[in-house]
Amino acid sequence: MTLIVNGPVQDGEHHDPGHPERPERLIAALAGISDLHLDDAMTVLAPYAATRAQLALAHDTSYLDELGAFCYAGGGNVDEDTYATYDSWSIARYAAGAGLAVIDELERRGDGVGFVAARPPGHHALRDRGMGFCLLNNIAVSAAALVARGERVLIVDWDVHHGNGTQSIFWNEPNVLYVSTHQWPLFPGSGGSREIGGYQALGRTLNLPVPAGATGDVFLRALDEVVAPSVEAFDPTWVLVSAGFDAHRADPLADLALSSGDFAALATRVGAFAPRPGRLALFLEGGYDLGAVRASSAASLAALLELNYDAEPVTSGGPGAEAIARAASERGVALALALESEAKEHS
Amino acid sequence: MSIPATIAVGYDGSPSAQAALTWAFALARSSDATVVVVHAVGLLARYGGEGISLELEQSVGQLAEDVDFDATHLRWMVSDGDACSVLLRAIDDPVRAELLVVGSRGQSAHAGLLLGSTSLQLAERAQVPLVIVPMERHLDEW
Repeated sequence: MTLIVNGPVQDGEHHDPGHPERPERLIAALAGISDLHLDDAMTVLAPYAATRAQLALAHDTSYLDELGAFCYAGGGNVDEDTYATYDSWSIARYAAGAGLAVIDELERRGDGVGFVAARPPGHHALRDRGMGFCLLNNIAVSAAALVARGERVLIVDWDVHHGNGTQSIFWNEPNVLYVSTHQWPLFPGSGGSREIGGYQALGRTLNLPVPAGATGDVFLRALDEVVAPSVEAFDPTWVLVSAGFDAHRADPLADLALSSGDFAALATRVGAFAPRPGRLALFLEGGYDLGAVRASSAASLAALLELNYDAEPVTSGGPGAEAIARAASERGVALALALESEAKEHS
Repeated sequence: MSIPATIAVGYDGSPSAQAALTWAFALARSSDATVVVVHAVGLLARYGGEGISLELEQSVGQLAEDVDFDATHLRWMVSDGDACSVLLRAIDDPVRAELLVVGSRGQSAHAGLLLGSTSLQLAERAQVPLVIVPMERHLDEW
């Protein structure tokens, strides 16, 4: 199977000295791909910058105008966590465009696995503002483009932080199923199990918060027991993954205990949700330990491409099984109450 | 409607947050309520950042002193997250806030990107009464 990956953007700089969201992260992810020695089994696409119309499927045009103007005025701090430089507007558009290009190529081939190796990350970016190191919501731009073509998109977000931006953008979109596993409590503070989607898309948001120290077995159980039935009922035509690698035990911004081998196992499970070849793409999100990003990128892609890779052993025995069971139960109650309330409103 | 026993106030040190906290202190002083100062910290707090800065702590202490609020009725809640999510969390255990108070505008390096978003989101999502305190009036008027 072929790996489809976007081409790197050579010009410009999105960098703030000392900030953990730094260019070396992308280099580490690309080094992970290089470790797989794919040679002819990899296609690198030309860089592509998303147009205003494409971005507007996921963002308010007023925000796009503000962000562009802010960057061209020299940039600065968007909030206490998030920076932008003069070049950030251009680089962020290339990051959002990378997903669109990868998806188009997968569709053209009808085969392969996509990897969107781009930064800044995107899943915290809301429709009307950037936050949490994110300026534009890369995965949401791609998912929105697919929905506009009539596709049904499953987004699995295994970044350690809840993807509040993606959830919010698709809150009322019935053709997107957003699934997130994340440490809780942790930034951004959203992602509770009772957050199930808006009235036009009840049940299309599935949050599975886990406590600090959770291990890979907890995630696999969550996918098998809670996520898989929802995915089967949703019947997606595309699967996109917010592939942050900050749930790795070495990450400095969080406290989960996954290994690169766990990411390989997660990738295998999530890959099985794709309806056919050429319908799966991973988007790099967080991950701030360079070694972990490199090893986890390599392990995830190796699993999807069915290659041998010497990943770290899978982990087990951490807390979280109870939290998953509780989340599933709370979600069920919230969904039943919401459906009952909706039925009353329409009767 | 009963008088709230616990009031949670979003606080980031901005003039708007100071106005909100001063208003909450004045209300709490007259009703013997507890004021919980809620401070949201971002992603970088885990990367060599800090939770409550000395400056922030001192400014809260000074505001309490200015309006003669009994500091034994003052508590802090510092938590990971965006300001809206953290304030909403204050409604649940263990804080169980019965009233949320925020300024009309939070701190932002680029105000155009964040203007008033916390108060607007809270107005949509809060399940307890919410007070949005404007900062245009002078603090003495509270």
